[in-house]
Amino acid sequence: MRGSLGMFDMKGQSDGILVRRVLEGDTAAYAGLITRYRDRLARYATRMLGNSADAEDALQDAFVRGYRYLARCTDPERFGAWLFGILVNRCRTLGSQRARRQRLIIDDQAALERASVSHSEGDEALRDAIEHAVAQLQPDQREAFLLKYVEEMSYQEMKQLTGARISALKMRVARARQELRQLLAEVDDD
Amino acid sequence: MTERDDGLKQAIELLKRPVSLDSSFDERVMKNLESVRRPRTWTRSLWTVADWMSTGRTLTVSPLQGLGLVAGLAALLFVGRMWLMPESAISPERAAAIGETALVQFVIVAPTAESVSLVGDFNDWRASETPLRRVEDNGVWSVSVPLSAGRYRYAFLVDGATWLSDPSAPPALDDEFGRPGSVLTIGEL
Amino acid sequence: MARTRSGVALIGVAIACSLSLAAPGEAQEPRLQGRVPEPTRSAINVILDNAHAAGLPTEPLVDRALEGVAKGADPDRILAAVRRLSGELHSAFDALGPRSSAAEIVAGASAIRAGARAEDLAYLRELRADQPLTVATATLADLVAVGVPTDTAVAAVIALAEEADDAQYIAFRRNVERDIALGASPVTALGVRLEAAADFANRSLPQRPRPRKP
Repeated sequence: MRGSLGMFDMKGQSDGILVRRVLEGDTAAYAGLITRYRDRLARYATRMLGNSADAEDALQDAFVRGYRYLARCTDPERFGAWLFGILVNRCRTLGSQRARRQRLIIDDQAALERASVSHSEGDEALRDAIEHAVAQLQPDQREAFLLKYVEEMSYQEMKQLTGARISALKMRVARARQELRQLLAEVDDD
Repeated sequence: MTERDDGLKQAIELLKRPVSLDSSFDERVMKNLESVRRPRTWTRSLWTVADWMSTGRTLTVSPLQGLGLVAGLAALLFVGRMWLMPESAISPERAAAIGETALVQFVIVAPTAESVSLVGDFNDWRASETPLRRVEDNGVWSVSVPLSAGRYRYAFLVDGATWLSDPSAPPALDDEFGRPGSVLTIGEL
Repeated sequence: MARTRSGVALIGVAIACSLSLAAPGEAQEPRLQGRVPEPTRSAINVILDNAHAAGLPTEPLVDRALEGVAKGADPDRILAAVRRLSGELHSAFDALGPRSSAAEIVAGASAIRAGARAEDLAYLRELRADQPLTVATATLADLVAVGVPTDTAVAAVIALAEEADDAQYIAFRRNVERDIALGASPVTALGVRLEAAADFANRSLPQRPRPRKP
């Protein structure tokens, strides 16, 4: 990963130091890791799941599991990457659960408004449209698209994260781009 | 990306903008952690699931079950909760606290037998030390034995000559000496 | 004929049994007397001494010898069986650690007999550090005994290790056995029961990392 989920030296305590502190019994040190990665993870989860309530569930889950299985993080300095993998997995689970309940994917206006994004009036409508379009992608395409372009991962990193073959990932990304181009063109036509 | 992807590029820029959660999120997670088991420090080499699964194991799976089994295992290795329904049927397995014993009943159906005895680790393999009692006229034999925690190999000896394994128990891994046998494990409390 | 360290030659098995003198450090297991002939009995006693010195339980070794006697096996075969078990107890003890109970070591030895590796037992110990491993390792051995391939049985037991209690391990194994008895292949039976055990919404994860041979 591009280093942004690695040695991120916020309070002068690297991931590795914080992880070791937690493993030695200082549970409060985990709060430092939550603060460090929460927003980044929240972005992926919100884009992937389409609304902030589900995203929060996924995040909670991921952080709790990250804590519980912390001893299994073999490279504590790259805790963030490891945690991200857990989050991607949780999003898949939550996503398929939702699909089975056959909920319509709707724009979560309230959540979007809570998001601390500064934008102009015109942007808002566009943003809604984009998020709506992304939400309409097939889950595996959406996941691949977000990992590639929003999280800026390499295909190798994506393969490690998802277990999918690189050729499959490239195909999903390509299809996602086609779909999105189409959907966004329709928006422009309105 | 090409020119016609300007729309996509713009979309990506917007998607990359940060998302903030409720400020109480951190607190809620920390609160949740109070009921989560603390992570243990590893004293041996650190194994992740991926490490373990890549140490040259061969999962022998039938073609149809292959994907399901691997997916199921991978899923289980990540899952936080699962439940299994213990059978309500009487199980011979028991658990025993240190220094205590559990009473275990051994049963076999041998309608034509004159005598049946239980021979195994718990009676030094003495052939006539633990005879079974004929329960019904339909050939059911039974005996109850107090056992402490451990793993016991045993078999039934019918009419002093024929060795039978216990159909309701796991077989012994090796018959070791050319005769059928069974194994019973009593867990520790 | 047996020779004690004092060099006194003992004549005849019966006399040897009743008059044999235990030299310093060489214990005589009384239960073997009268049932296991010499020189096998002395050889077994040496194995018992070594096991005892290493902190291993010796009961299972005595039991194995007596089993051989009861089943009318050759003394050579009895000795080989005791040796083999001794090795497995040693391996299990090394893997499970110094605070293992006798029951854990015996069950661990069965798992090794079933083909589990020492590192599998060590991993189980990490996953389940706060409970005895007796039933978990016994489950592994018992699954192999009913036809589940070793690595599959190991994988299943490890997959269950963090969440299943002993009763659930037993229930799991019994369910698999019953399915096999009803005609399922061992691996199919195990796969079905394993999936049933998971509280996991999405089981059809595409292309999860697969185990690879080195």
